[in-house]
Amino acid sequence: MSSHAAHAPIDHHHDHTTSTGIPNKKLLMWTFLASDCMFFGMLIATHLVYRLHPPPGAPAAQDIFSIELTSFSTFILLMSSLMMALAVNAIQKGNLKSMRWSLLTTIVFGAIFLWCQVYEFDHFVKDRNFTLTNSLFGSTFYTLTGTHGTHVAIGVLWLIMMYVRSFQPRDTAKDRTWFLRNVLHVAAVTGVVLFAMFAVLNLVHVIQAGTGLGAFFSGSIWLLVGLAVTTAASVHFAKPRGPVAFDESNAIDVESMGLYWHFVDIVWIVIFTAVYLLEYV
Amino acid sequence: MSASASTAAHDHGPDENKYQLYVQIAMLLAVLTGIEIVAIFFPFAPWIIVTTLVVLSVVKFLFVIFYFMHLRWDKPFCTILFAIGLVLGGGTLWVLLLLFGAQDSFPLTSILD
Repeated sequence: MSSHAAHAPIDHHHDHTTSTGIPNKKLLMWTFLASDCMFFGMLIATHLVYRLHPPPGAPAAQDIFSIELTSFSTFILLMSSLMMALAVNAIQKGNLKSMRWSLLTTIVFGAIFLWCQVYEFDHFVKDRNFTLTNSLFGSTFYTLTGTHGTHVAIGVLWLIMMYVRSFQPRDTAKDRTWFLRNVLHVAAVTGVVLFAMFAVLNLVHVIQAGTGLGAFFSGSIWLLVGLAVTTAASVHFAKPRGPVAFDESNAIDVESMGLYWHFVDIVWIVIFTAVYLLEYV
Repeated sequence: MSASASTAAHDHGPDENKYQLYVQIAMLLAVLTGIEIVAIFFPFAPWIIVTTLVVLSVVKFLFVIFYFMHLRWDKPFCTILFAIGLVLGGGTLWVLLLLFGAQDSFPLTSILD
């Protein structure tokens, strides 16, 4: 951390060293988001134009969609946005511990949203015969929501990397294994997120099939235990062994990531209305 | 500490209360989402429901970009930059819908049927 950052409060909204007065990273992110607006605008327009081309013999769109599941995932994404805002707020105040917890919660909420989308696609294809290729409605729907889901997945990966980055030691020369330990940390958090998604998906399938919870646990219990032990061990090894090189001066990195995450949320606000709710009117 | 930094710190006094502000906004957004979900089941004319949905979505959109994304506290240039992309994207969407409205894009076979 620079001596300036150590002694003077940081103005997180302005940077007097740039010609625009805006931190360069923030300017870059806003420019990217402006271009992404046009990208999603086209995808939404294409879907709205072709939304009246359902698969042959398919039920009405409102009978294909599950408003309960979509509402739940919308609420989850909204809450993840809140946690992201709190993470930025925490690091701007130099509260590293609070930022880490907020980031972890955002990661979990993002993973739940992705799980809901995986479950929804799985349900549409297997139970409703609503696929990517059997209608224009399906093609535009999966392209739009799939692109959004990819953005969420990239965001979750970015969040995980930022979380792990917050453990980087200040003096890496004295702690040469920090990178290896943090790679292990990233692998553990990513593994837990992916496994949790598929475990919940299997759990829902087991409940729907009526085979009981015993079938689920008998097949997954040792995997669950193994995963929990591996995660606990990797988190323990990843713990910093001294002061970390992550503080209030890194707030701009977290804020840039936060801008991306909130953008994903506002795109979903539009998709939720234009793609889902509109079919019920 | 420089005078500018001192002024900046003074100008951003409300930063202290952002935690409560963010939570309040998130609760408001959750309520607005709830209203949207309930609104589609009301037996009103479709244009009333569609207008309500669009207005509520715009309100949610604006709350997120101005508060969660800090546009309210950042330099106006950020808002202008984002608005350029938004206007171009939204404008093209609007024009495409006017040119190829969903009703007009029905396949000819469905008309013959």
